[in-house]
Amino acid sequence: MLSDFGIILLFILAAIVLIMVVLGASRLLRPNRPNEEKLTTYESGEEPLGNANVQFNVRFYVVALVFVLFEVELIFLFPWAVVFGNVDLIEQTDGRWGWFALAEMLVFVGMLTLGLAYAWRKGYLDWVRPTPQVPHTPSPVPPALYEQLNEKYAPKVKVP
Amino acid sequence: MYPIVLLSVLGIVVLFLGFMKSKSVLLPATLLFLVLALASNFIDWNQGKVLYFYEMLAVNNLTLAFNAIVLVSAFMIVAMTRGFQDQEEAQPAEYYGIMLFSLVGAFMIIGYEHLIMLFVGIEILSVSMYILTGSDKSNLRSNEAALKYFLMGAFATGIMLFGIALLYGATGSFNLTDIQSYVSIQGRGVSYILYAGLLLLLIGMLFKVSAAPFHFWTPDVYDGAPTIFTTFMSTIVKTAGFAAIFRLLSHSFTPIYSFWWITLAAITVLTLLVGNIIAVYQNSFKRMLAYSSISHAGYLLIAVTSLSPQTENAILFYSLAYSIATISAFGVLMLVSKKKALEGQVDESYAAFNGLAAQNPLLAFVLAVSMLSLAGIPLTAGFWGKFFVFGSAVERGLVWMLVVAVLMSAVGIYYYFRAIIAAYLKEGDIGKIRIAPFYRIILVVATAMTILFGLAPGIFEKLL
Repeated sequence: MLSDFGIILLFILAAIVLIMVVLGASRLLRPNRPNEEKLTTYESGEEPLGNANVQFNVRFYVVALVFVLFEVELIFLFPWAVVFGNVDLIEQTDGRWGWFALAEMLVFVGMLTLGLAYAWRKGYLDWVRPTPQVPHTPSPVPPALYEQLNEKYAPKVKVP
Repeated sequence: MYPIVLLSVLGIVVLFLGFMKSKSVLLPATLLFLVLALASNFIDWNQGKVLYFYEMLAVNNLTLAFNAIVLVSAFMIVAMTRGFQDQEEAQPAEYYGIMLFSLVGAFMIIGYEHLIMLFVGIEILSVSMYILTGSDKSNLRSNEAALKYFLMGAFATGIMLFGIALLYGATGSFNLTDIQSYVSIQGRGVSYILYAGLLLLLIGMLFKVSAAPFHFWTPDVYDGAPTIFTTFMSTIVKTAGFAAIFRLLSHSFTPIYSFWWITLAAITVLTLLVGNIIAVYQNSFKRMLAYSSISHAGYLLIAVTSLSPQTENAILFYSLAYSIATISAFGVLMLVSKKKALEGQVDESYAAFNGLAAQNPLLAFVLAVSMLSLAGIPLTAGFWGKFFVFGSAVERGLVWMLVVAVLMSAVGIYYYFRAIIAAYLKEGDIGKIRIAPFYRIILVVATAMTILFGLAPGIFEKLL
């Protein structure tokens, strides 16, 4: 008689065996003609450029963290939606159940919204925009003179 | 339950208060919130055992008393931060918010009735501590400490979770009462998975209270963290952690005492030896206090191992005595080390205290009383703490363990007295230290409590 842990062990073993069988069978059956294109890293159809071990801007992590937070919130909303819409429970309680479930979820979402508002107010959501530095040379000659010179001596090129 | 809900909401309020122009409102607001939480804590007083959150949290007088100790310690520590006004890069609103959130975790592990609640509580507490440890971002040692603590803590959490999973596999329940009924029905015939699960769970929890051989993170983390957060860690995490261990063992696993007591006894003796003997060799006062916290974990473990009717009082009293003595020791250290700072590098060695008594008799006295209490000298609260702990060991007949413990407290006297000798007998050039009035009140109250409980420990039992 297997205990529950025994079943889990069997499950793990079956997973390993299945993968070995599938991969082994495909290796035996398929033709083997590698070429350069096939061996490159698959990057959604883009041509891979450079090394993968580059430093990311640290701001990616903040955005990723906020994203994960709301992703988890979304996943939590699914089971809630099932319970929320339970017709039996709503009928038994004259509709109070729906309001109760809605209020509970509003508290949960409200907490997370407060967190988002906090991150927003703190400025974690603002991406730093590069401000281009226009080089400025202190020169006694006014820039307009240069413009005139350019106009005068620039080679006249006919634009076809 | 009330402080959990209250502090969860008020922590968010503190975070948003940080957006105000004036930072000076944060400290009084946080202190007020802690007082509110303390008041709401006693709504359930003398109601017997009350279950909350779909039987995931139990409240009785014992857990309320532990909550109160944690809240009082937190109040003292927050009061000693002085609003972080002397640090330019500090983010006081976030620190206070995280402190309040971590207290929520502490309440959860003090009163859990469901192992998932224990896990969530330990995570809330630990993650807050990882952040606070690394809060001094420009300090390399603080960063190192935070990373070490985080990596090791993550492993310990994994081990603990594995233990919980195995316990569930053996008993089919996360509920402490269900586990208790399973264990008492099966007796010695319980499945081996339960033994493995219990050991792994205990390892995870002993890591959090820094018992040897799971103590290796303690010195570096306590040393690297900003002193105020070291105080927070060494008092609140320890108190809550021991409450959790005691709850687990006394509530669910008394029927198989003969199985786990020998493991716990070995860990106790090892913790006592490691903590006290290595503390002797430290030159840094802060690092010595880190090892001292390991050794005090050892004394508390004696009480848990013996698990007699006296144990819950012993743990309660010991936690209180240890917390207030540690808070006042760290409080003096913070003032002195800042005064002796050289080029931004604070001096936390014993030598920093040289000649403290000449110009600052109050600080020297506070330091002396806290050291005496930690060493367990009579007429201080620490003595009665040790007395109750040893008493519960005697009741169980663990005399050999008592011999080790008494020898080790004799060793402890050496390194605690080094600080007193430095303060009173050595020559030093330490000038007059200016103490903020509120800070002075906290130090005096902590010292007064230590002496009061030392003179009349009965007061404490009357309160219960």
